[in-house]
Amino acid sequence: MVLVKQKTPGSESPGGPEVVGRDALLAALESDTASDRRSAARELAAFPETAPALCDRLAVEQSPSVRAAILMSLIRIGSPEAAGRLAEFLRSDDATLRNGAMEALQEMPDALEGHVDRLLADGDSDVRIFAVNILSAVRLRSAPAWLARVIRSDSHVNVCAAAVDGLAEIGGVEMLDDLADLRRRFAGDDFMEFAIDTASLRIRGR
Amino acid sequence: MSNASSSPRHPQGDEVSGRGRILVVDDGITMRLYYRSVLEAAGFEVEEATNGVEGYEKALASAFDLMIVDINMPKMDGYAMLRAIRTDPALCAVPAVTISTEASERDAQQALRAGANFYLVKPVGSKELTEVALMVAGRSPR
Repeated sequence: MVLVKQKTPGSESPGGPEVVGRDALLAALESDTASDRRSAARELAAFPETAPALCDRLAVEQSPSVRAAILMSLIRIGSPEAAGRLAEFLRSDDATLRNGAMEALQEMPDALEGHVDRLLADGDSDVRIFAVNILSAVRLRSAPAWLARVIRSDSHVNVCAAAVDGLAEIGGVEMLDDLADLRRRFAGDDFMEFAIDTASLRIRGR
Repeated sequence: MSNASSSPRHPQGDEVSGRGRILVVDDGITMRLYYRSVLEAAGFEVEEATNGVEGYEKALASAFDLMIVDINMPKMDGYAMLRAIRTDPALCAVPAVTISTEASERDAQQALRAGANFYLVKPVGSKELTEVALMVAGRSPR
């Protein structure tokens, strides 16, 4: 637990006690002690403006429990800014960090929505795949339509395969024509043919 | 739990039996069904897990001749699962193949360092998957 020094009457700083508390927590976020960083990360959820600092710490944090606390706080903050910073971790070489960011983004659908177009247009196919994986799991009414747009427009086989996998879970019958078009586009690719047939069967069976 | 009954049959050959048991660990349902279809057609028995935690638990609970492991999965990624398996005396000798969308040499090296015996890049054709499974499962200590 991080101890934030109680202030005596008349000693408040110009920013007031909340700012002092926030600044003390931000300082504790850089502590050498993991338990202090973890506590600070949890309590900073009450200060949405600290999302960038939490993300900065997340980028270098090695303790799994502190990482988890930071991600939980970012989910609680749930702002578009927090989602945008989290989306940057989709480029990380650290698979655990990348997956943590993906799972956090799945928990903040409203904040994510404004970033989807940019992520689906990213030049890195892996980022587009991760965006598709997030859309396949997030509670967003518009997610199936985004996945359908991916299979209509993306030329990368693995991005399309990820979208087909998502449509197998959340797609509707109105996407069957798009799937049929995609099957023609990837005719001869035995995995894609299998994946599209599987998705179409599952959609028809719902 | 298999969903094989709701998937199309893979066109490759008739099923034979007795080639060994393979644990497929992938969060994508289509991927799992595809691997099952191809590997069962090649004579393997297939068990599925949807993430690294479930994969590790299934590997502990039952003997396998090969594990096919995706890298990007929720709860526990493929690298973490492989590291856990390679430090477990009961599992450290079970061969493992990773399959990922990431095609760089750096990604392959990372998988091999984590304990993979072989690294495949998606999409994997049925012929390639069968050949690698036959080759790597043959190294199983069982």
